[in-house]
Amino acid sequence: MKPEAGDILDVSAEQLMGLVPQLGDSYLQGSTAIHALLMRFAAREYERGADIRARENAEMRAVFAALAPALRDAALKARLEAAAATRDASLAISALDAANAQLKGLLIALHVHVEDAGERESSRRLWRLLKEMAERRVVSLF
Amino acid sequence: MRDALAEGLERYLRVRLDAPDLTVHDLARIPGGASRETYRFRARSAGAERKLILRRDPPASLIETERSTEYRAYQAFHRLGLPVPEPVALERDGGALERPFFIMSEIENAQAASVLAPDPYGAHSERIGHQFWSILGRIAGADPEALGLADFDGARSPQHCWSHEVARWEKVIDEDEAEPQPIARGALRWLKRHPPPPAQRIAVVHGDYRSGNFLHDGQGTIRAILDWEMAHLGDPLEDLAWALDPLWAHHDPSRPAGTLPREDAIRLWQDTSGLKADPAALAWWAMFASLKGVAIWISAAHEYATRRNDDPVNAFSGWYCLAFHNKVLAEKLETLA
Repeated sequence: MKPEAGDILDVSAEQLMGLVPQLGDSYLQGSTAIHALLMRFAAREYERGADIRARENAEMRAVFAALAPALRDAALKARLEAAAATRDASLAISALDAANAQLKGLLIALHVHVEDAGERESSRRLWRLLKEMAERRVVSLF
Repeated sequence: MRDALAEGLERYLRVRLDAPDLTVHDLARIPGGASRETYRFRARSAGAERKLILRRDPPASLIETERSTEYRAYQAFHRLGLPVPEPVALERDGGALERPFFIMSEIENAQAASVLAPDPYGAHSERIGHQFWSILGRIAGADPEALGLADFDGARSPQHCWSHEVARWEKVIDEDEAEPQPIARGALRWLKRHPPPPAQRIAVVHGDYRSGNFLHDGQGTIRAILDWEMAHLGDPLEDLAWALDPLWAHHDPSRPAGTLPREDAIRLWQDTSGLKADPAALAWWAMFASLKGVAIWISAAHEYATRRNDDPVNAFSGWYCLAFHNKVLAEKLETLA
């Protein structure tokens, strides 16, 4: 068994925290403790980061596929259908983020459209999705 | 060899305080947020010693604020008798120390609680809470004209308070977002479609009144309210909602800011401000508070990602706090949809 990046970050964060009391300067102490906390966050993100992004992308494509057929705005409908047909070709975080940003931009356009059209059920569906996405992105302090 | 900052400070204060023998000692950076560099130092002159704090602009500032705002708020509320540090000097062009700065008295033997602490005030939470919510009520009840702060940035009429602030923070999101923000955009649409009633009065809004932004003595007494750099004119409910926000009480949301039960906090604020916290209006400002949080954290993330200000607090804010407030907003808006 070899240490994964997450293990290395976790152990390094723990060792860094152990050094904090030895740093006399209060600014340095506070700053180092936050660096250690950020390393813990990064350790968890190493494990879940690609999964979170890939799931969000798949869920946004699925909702586009479900809602696009009923849209009256032909241009938006075409953009949503095209986006729904895409797939993540790479699981690199940068590639997933690029797709995620494009899909979120479309999600905003779709949400504005259904709100303006008074389509409450569709709006509720989008908020349910956004809530689930937000919950998965929450970072635990513990 | 002495630090160039200490030498510059010494030269500046000798002239500013008309004290040719003044010497600067023990200059050390201390924690003070990512938006200003904060230093503690001692100034000795004529056999006396003053303990002072220097707040200097970083190379890039988190939220662009008028540099005199925080200093003038300290002056005004110090005169009013609120616990704030005594302001000593303000330099808006910053020539003496390369960047704009101000100097104020140090509050000794006092500490700021971490917003991450599970029980930040322990056995003193009730006493701290009484002071915390009452001081906020006094700020809300103070007359901006009498304070000499009527020219502060912000809304000039009660019906425009909400739209002025929504526009202000929407601009921050527009400028600093690294990727589309569907939750923030949805919150902005909701806020605009469901405006609150006009403010009961125009007040000085602290702008960042919360746990972590005041000093206490560890024995139940608040010694100083800090970080007035986002102070502006507006609806006093804005400050109340921000102080009540769950981010400052995530270990026990029923006790905002880690102090008192929510109803007690609101009652104290009402008693000291002479204002009413209408539940519907407060609910609007609570939604706004979380949106304002999102805007601030997006800005922090931008500062860090572009290396304009790589203080780790910015990375923490842009990661933990942004995710927290996005969740708060999405949960509320899903319920209201």
